[in-house]
Amino acid sequence: MPKCLVCYKWTLDEKDIKIKPGDLSLDTSRAKGKISDFDRNAIEEATLIQEQHGGAVHALTYGTSAVKQSLKDVLSRGPETVYWIVDNSAETADACVTANVLAAAIRKLGPYDLIICGEGSSDLFNQQTAARLGALLGLPCVTYVEKLSVDGDTVKATRKLADCTEVATVKGPVVVSVLGTINKPRIPSLKQVLGAAKKPNKEIKIADLGLNAEALQSKAVHKSVKGFVAKRKNIVYKEPNAAANVGKLTSSLAAEGVR
Amino acid sequence: MAGIFVFSEDGALAKQLLTPALELKQQLSQPVTAVTSSEADAKELAAFGADKVLVLQAASGWTEGLSEAIYGLVSGGGASIFLVGGTLRGKHVAAYLAAKLNVGMSTDAKSVKIEGGKLLSTRLLYAGLALCDEELALPAVVTMPPRTFLPPSPAAKAGTVETVKAESDGRIAISDVTAHGGTGVDIAGVTKLVAVGRGFRKQEDLKLAEDLAGALQAEIACSRPVAEDEHWLPIERYVGISGHIVKPELYLAVGISGQVQHMVGARESKVIVAVNNDEHAPIFEGADYGIVGDLYEVLPLLTAAVGKNGGR
Repeated sequence: MPKCLVCYKWTLDEKDIKIKPGDLSLDTSRAKGKISDFDRNAIEEATLIQEQHGGAVHALTYGTSAVKQSLKDVLSRGPETVYWIVDNSAETADACVTANVLAAAIRKLGPYDLIICGEGSSDLFNQQTAARLGALLGLPCVTYVEKLSVDGDTVKATRKLADCTEVATVKGPVVVSVLGTINKPRIPSLKQVLGAAKKPNKEIKIADLGLNAEALQSKAVHKSVKGFVAKRKNIVYKEPNAAANVGKLTSSLAAEGVR
Repeated sequence: MAGIFVFSEDGALAKQLLTPALELKQQLSQPVTAVTSSEADAKELAAFGADKVLVLQAASGWTEGLSEAIYGLVSGGGASIFLVGGTLRGKHVAAYLAAKLNVGMSTDAKSVKIEGGKLLSTRLLYAGLALCDEELALPAVVTMPPRTFLPPSPAAKAGTVETVKAESDGRIAISDVTAHGGTGVDIAGVTKLVAVGRGFRKQEDLKLAEDLAGALQAEIACSRPVAEDEHWLPIERYVGISGHIVKPELYLAVGISGQVQHMVGARESKVIVAVNNDEHAPIFEGADYGIVGDLYEVLPLLTAAVGKNGGR
């Protein structure tokens, strides 16, 4: 029976982020938190495996104090325990720091048969965590998985790449990153939401992970972040007469030399 | 081994990466070494500016399984920058290298340069909502998407080619490699695209877009739901943050609302045109020209109007 760990990130919901017209900085004041999109697929996949094969699902997150808002949410989606690490370093952590922290926590909590991450986070989308964890933990890693099955200690993962799919077969323990197409995350029922309050959440102090200051120092630093504003002509033909609109558009396309 | 390293399992992409690599060479005065597992690619890379090409000779051709072997080439230190082709396989290899080297990595960088002894890259955040300047201390790993650069001109003097034995990761067995059916059309490389979205009521109705594409001599592309939810078109035709980033002369979006996740894939197009029945659809903000109207009425008229002039 597999023991699974899901790593997830609590991110801002990008739908609520506005671009300030003047300096193009990002206004996140109205942005709510969410479990990063593909991490929800990771949680769902671990939970499906547990429902089919038994075993256990734990969740692990590293973030600022905002991650406390995620605990009931993640527990309502299936995991029986969530471990959380809060540290200010998470405010600016790059994938290097995140992987250092998660790997140290996994060494402490593990071993796990299966460690599942989302393909990339909704905010930074670095797509690095799974491969970095594999490297740091000395475990095989299968990325970009759209189908996962477990048979004893053997994991079969179908990867979807740009031009092909392929099946990776590996004996656990293994690190896997999943795509958004692997499943449809459940919407927790009222019972699951209420049940989540009774499940344990356990804090791990970053000081107990034996990481030095260098390991918590981001190597990739955001010097400037600016909203992307499309510079387009925005000429819209909207007369009731469709033929007239089409006539104007074809003239415009001819003028642009793209007809 | 010192210097700037370039790796991609995709020969064309590796060659494109030589362009930024040669610019960095100017700035850092360090040699460019290309790493490949293909002898054919090796010759090309040596001819197009790599000072040295290392050909990995491994029992398995699985790219990701060569991660440790590639790390082994530079584990002695001295490597300053790793430019890796931003395919999914490449990103896996790159993240492995970055972890083993304990260095930073910039994913899907649009540009790179050296400033103040550090690497400065630009990349997208929040699914394309924002652009970010990312600064990395050297050594650093960067992945760059296909077609970010054109390949450089042939070098005056070809680089050296050296073969090295490489162990591949024996823990993972790869089987059932299946190419995504489809037509093999690479929508990222064409000059005109007609892109279809959820505004089409059923799959047969895509005929209207195909007729227009025929008249324009364009290829058909689509939004994510059309490929991944409806399965009306193969995923090779899907434009968006996790699909293709396209840069055609003309991008004509029909029945696509224009969420940022889609527009990221389309907004590098020269001219963007939208046809949508919702005047307030965000696609119009990202378009040069638009028609507000029922696509079922507009497309046949547009096809006829374009066809009359024979397209281009």
